[in-house]
Amino acid sequence: MVEINHFKMTFNDKTVIKDLSFTVEKGEIFGLLGSNGSGKTTTIRALLGLYEATGGELLVDGEKYNPENSRVTIGYLPEERGLYRKETVIDNMLYFAMLKGVKNSLEWSRKYLKRVGLADKETTKIEKLSGGQQQKVQLGITIMNEPKLLILDEPTKGFDPVNRRLLMNIIEEMHEKGSSIIMVTHYMDEVERFCNRALLLKDGVARAYGKIKDIRNTFGGKSLDQIFIDVYGGVENE
Amino acid sequence: MSSYIFKVTKFEIMRQLKKPAFWAATLLIPIMIGAIYLISFISSNGNVKEPEYDNNTKIAILDESGVLSSDVPFLIEGSKEDGIGKVKNGEATYFFYIPADFADSKKTEFYHISEGLEIFNNDASILKSILLKDASTRTDAKDVLALSGNYEITDHKLSKDGSDANALGRAIIPFFIGIMFFMFVTLCGNRFLFTVIEEKENRISEMILTAISSKHLIIGKIIALLTLGLIQIAAIVIPVLLLIFANRDNEFVSGLLNIIVVDPVSITLSLLLFIASSVFYAGVCTFVGSLVSTARDASSFIGPAIIAMVLPLYFMSSFMATEPTFIVQFLTYFPFTAPIALVLRNGFGTITTPEFCLGIGVVVISSIVAIYFAIRSFQKNSINFGLALPKFLRSKK
Repeated sequence: MVEINHFKMTFNDKTVIKDLSFTVEKGEIFGLLGSNGSGKTTTIRALLGLYEATGGELLVDGEKYNPENSRVTIGYLPEERGLYRKETVIDNMLYFAMLKGVKNSLEWSRKYLKRVGLADKETTKIEKLSGGQQQKVQLGITIMNEPKLLILDEPTKGFDPVNRRLLMNIIEEMHEKGSSIIMVTHYMDEVERFCNRALLLKDGVARAYGKIKDIRNTFGGKSLDQIFIDVYGGVENE
Repeated sequence: MSSYIFKVTKFEIMRQLKKPAFWAATLLIPIMIGAIYLISFISSNGNVKEPEYDNNTKIAILDESGVLSSDVPFLIEGSKEDGIGKVKNGEATYFFYIPADFADSKKTEFYHISEGLEIFNNDASILKSILLKDASTRTDAKDVLALSGNYEITDHKLSKDGSDANALGRAIIPFFIGIMFFMFVTLCGNRFLFTVIEEKENRISEMILTAISSKHLIIGKIIALLTLGLIQIAAIVIPVLLLIFANRDNEFVSGLLNIIVVDPVSITLSLLLFIASSVFYAGVCTFVGSLVSTARDASSFIGPAIIAMVLPLYFMSSFMATEPTFIVQFLTYFPFTAPIALVLRNGFGTITTPEFCLGIGVVVISSIVAIYFAIRSFQKNSINFGLALPKFLRSKK
């Protein structure tokens, strides 16, 4: 599904990714892990063509991703909120639905908003919503066209346990429907629970890569939380 | 048109049309025009200055219709050309021609030496005074038309060498289209900047560029904003035209309408220039918007572009000269100054059609280049949320 070979990325003489290679198989949930600034988001942006890679190749279903002609539909949930703040919830959803070619978009949007507890916010402007509510709207936009590849950059960041569970349920459903998922997260319990494989990124190179069980075995059977702390020396590189 | 472009265009148009601020900005100008018209109408009522003349005023009237009685002092014999000749050689200051079919056509003609860029010479109504004064002394049937004052006076301006001097008449439509471009820049400039900056400031670009290419997004936005600009201009121009139509019998308005020269070639080229200039300006604003991350950053870039655009106005007198100077030629073909420079030269009649077409070609090519760079820049900088200056502008360490 995704193939990244010898990916390098440099910004103004600063190398963010030195040499990164990994694959994401069809139908799996893949965890992309690393501390803040380790290059996870850069890798995803380069995969989506938002950044031009300095070196290497990033392929989706064997080709460079093009949003309008790709054989694989991608749903991308960025870490930051990215909606038209002056427009209403429903207008935002319908616009993205139109761009993604979603049929029955109004019906789908209303059903989704009801499910995530935002039915009464349909005509509210985005800027009036809390960060968590905006994230829910954004997740709806990400999954509305039932993408074959779902890329989620810290999807549950800042959520209370109830809403975190709700969102993870929705993501699980997408997986059951056949979506492959790349998930960037700092919650190691989510990785252990949902991911088949993972990659731990530090200083632009992979420090661990493979099945969750194999990674844990490599580090003497420690939990992912402990492995993360060991790799980063207990201090996050802000 | 790509369906993606259409989708972006539709969204951008609809979201603006739904905003009360858009309609407030659009309708404010026609309301102001209406208010100014109303004030000037009220204040001018009762203050109409009657033209002054006496038996010593050098007036010549050729009355082929017989509406005037023979004791009117200014009547001449001969042909219309003789009367025009009297104006040219200075024997008469004003020549009025009343054709034989006056009773049916209700038309008269007025010839005088032009005194510059005047719309209507108030002395044209001397003829009305003469007709009214003469008719009031008689009781035959022709007096009814004369007394009604319901007739047109076509104003013919002659230059001092006797040729047609209707410079203003030729300039009105090109200048009007030039004003439309000015309105477009005033009304839409900020919107072009903000529409791209909004995508970056709110980090929408990261979401949207996984669903649509930057090329289709930018082109869709430009088409939408051009359409909105045209809607706003139409909302201003249509009431003005309706006002003119409703007052077509007014002396000033009919004078204005009579002198307008309708040259299809000039009008077509002016409209082409308007469209090309608007697209060029849209491309430049979008390019600037894609380079910077905030509206404040944008204003420091867009300022010089606006100054360059209005620069030709500072060389107005040079543009009126028949022989173009180097600076006029430069401003005519420099993309940022070309829109206004071409309007001025077309209005003053100091540019040939091939030169005008060449100028439009420069603006069209510049528009394509500006849009190309806007697309490239948006693709490259859309998720660089700081000011992204091109390499050549960055300071070297």
